[in-house]
Amino acid sequence: MARNAVNSEGRVAVHDLVKRFGSVAAVDGVSLDVAAGEFVALLGPSGSGKTTILMAIAGFEYPTSGRVEIGGEDVTWAPANKRNLGMVFQRYTLFPHMSVAENIAFPLKMRGIGRVERERRALAALETVRLAGYGERRTNQLSGGQQQRIALARAIVYQPRVLLMDEPLSALDKNLREEMQLEIKHLQQQLGITVVFVTHDQTEAMTMADRVAVLDLGRLQQVGAPRDLYEAPATPFVAGFIGETNFLPGRAVAAAAAGETLAVDLDGGGRVAAVAVDRLAAGAALRLAVRPERVRLAPSAGGLGGTVVEAIYAGVATTLIAELGGERRVRARIAAGTGERNWSDGEAVDVSWRPEDARAFAAGAAG
Amino acid sequence: MTAGRPPRQGGVGRLLLHAFAYAVIVFLLLPTVLVAPMSVSPEKYLQFPPSGFSLRWYGEYFADREWVEATLFSAEAGIISAIGATVVGTMTALALVRGRVRGRAVVELLIIGPVVVPHIALAVAMFLVYEQLRLTGTLLGFAMAHIVLALPFAIFTVLAALYRFDADLEMAALSCGASRIATFRHVTLPMIAPGVASAALFAFIISFDEAVVSFFISDLDRKTLPRKMFEDIDFDVSPVLAAVATMLSLLTILVLVLGHFFKQMADRRAAPAREGKTP
Repeated sequence: MARNAVNSEGRVAVHDLVKRFGSVAAVDGVSLDVAAGEFVALLGPSGSGKTTILMAIAGFEYPTSGRVEIGGEDVTWAPANKRNLGMVFQRYTLFPHMSVAENIAFPLKMRGIGRVERERRALAALETVRLAGYGERRTNQLSGGQQQRIALARAIVYQPRVLLMDEPLSALDKNLREEMQLEIKHLQQQLGITVVFVTHDQTEAMTMADRVAVLDLGRLQQVGAPRDLYEAPATPFVAGFIGETNFLPGRAVAAAAAGETLAVDLDGGGRVAAVAVDRLAAGAALRLAVRPERVRLAPSAGGLGGTVVEAIYAGVATTLIAELGGERRVRARIAAGTGERNWSDGEAVDVSWRPEDARAFAAGAAG
Repeated sequence: MTAGRPPRQGGVGRLLLHAFAYAVIVFLLLPTVLVAPMSVSPEKYLQFPPSGFSLRWYGEYFADREWVEATLFSAEAGIISAIGATVVGTMTALALVRGRVRGRAVVELLIIGPVVVPHIALAVAMFLVYEQLRLTGTLLGFAMAHIVLALPFAIFTVLAALYRFDADLEMAALSCGASRIATFRHVTLPMIAPGVASAALFAFIISFDEAVVSFFISDLDRKTLPRKMFEDIDFDVSPVLAAVATMLSLLTILVLVLGHFFKQMADRRAAPAREGKTP
């Protein structure tokens, strides 16, 4: 029972959140429930509303309508400093006039904790972020990665149940970023803290998060585990935003319910099988989505015939671009070491895929 | 063209421009510079070049009760004005930068009012009001008048410091659980402190050598140093005046140097570990 009580403290939820700036809705009716101890990434392009949602949770933006709950308590209108959250920002926000240790101890000082205890816990937090011995340094003696680790230490030193992160790694170079992604992930698991993490980098979101919430134009597109998003995108936007996708326009030959296999007449010729994501009427316009690594290539033998127009070798995989006629182009990815034959430009090729690898979205669907 | 060298701009025109610029500087500085040798002359009248070297007039200044009293009175008014203008100025600047001020444009226009309204008009207006309130010749009266005059400078100095200051640090402090007041005390104020200090210095100097308004709101026994200098020049042009003027100039230079020092400090603080070092 006691354990449950502690756990529910870390729950974060937004209900029907709307935030308008003038006539523009930055967030347009988003509901999201983050369980205690869960790592959720808010993923989307700029202008998708992901940062605005985070700021509403943090208390730096007040919503136009809707509710924000932390630990089951309505905090929609509570000031930021009363929410007891940890936060790491995109930009380096260490206080330059304080030492590293003073920075980390600052939240404890604001909570009226005595000097000795402050120092003890600041040192412990430094160790947690693997920067023991850095306490006396000035913040301008630190690299970008070290600064963000100190900012992380400052955010967790008072043991908040929820940690908010606003693209904290975007200023770091690629190698360091990948290293810190795993480090933050491990730290989150070790502390059992709830994390809401904003990013525009799909790889980062997939690497770190238990669940990813994909946003576009202020609306929630899909929430799910990284695998679900990639394997079963719910909207064309998600299919296009997470990983790479070939989109081909076509029409349903017969009506199909969501999840059913149907035959599709592609615009520009050719009949293929696919799985319907949305309910489709007979003759309904649709968009077919196929991942490049699911496209199969064979020497021309009828079917969807085309021509190889470009082969891009990139070590780990080769990308082939095949033209199907009618300006339709399909990308196919062949992983290295699969014994697949080499293709050269101008070669005739037959393009196909398994029915379950092609997803048919209603043409009017968002995205 | 010679390789590896930037092209130089034309010879004669450039020379003339430089000569002109230096001539302007000399013209501006000459009176201030001349007054210093005049103040060390042993003779009883102002003379240049001085016939010898003597600190007689400096001694006379410190021995004269009236000069010392006027100086102390100016210093008191200056310190109170500096504190008042800095406190009000900092609060105003904060409200302008962080707050949602209705009619901000109007407020900003009003702030530069004391700078653009002719001082003589302000002086007359203050004299008429102070007469009614019996504030002429009082420390409070001078301090209030000088706060009004120094406020625009204080506000703009602090505004400049606030614009350089990264507002994200305030968000970070709030997220750490600091209240608005604690955020100001522990984060904002320490960061803009050099700007606030130079605002105080300039407010002090503005008050200390303000002459026009002081001339009107002084009375017979409570007067500021500039007013006393005015009176002196009327009936007795002694080298004491040159000595006072020299000391005033030195004080101003000291304040300017200090102000520059604070500005450098402010720049260093405003450019924190933004880029950081490479790992």
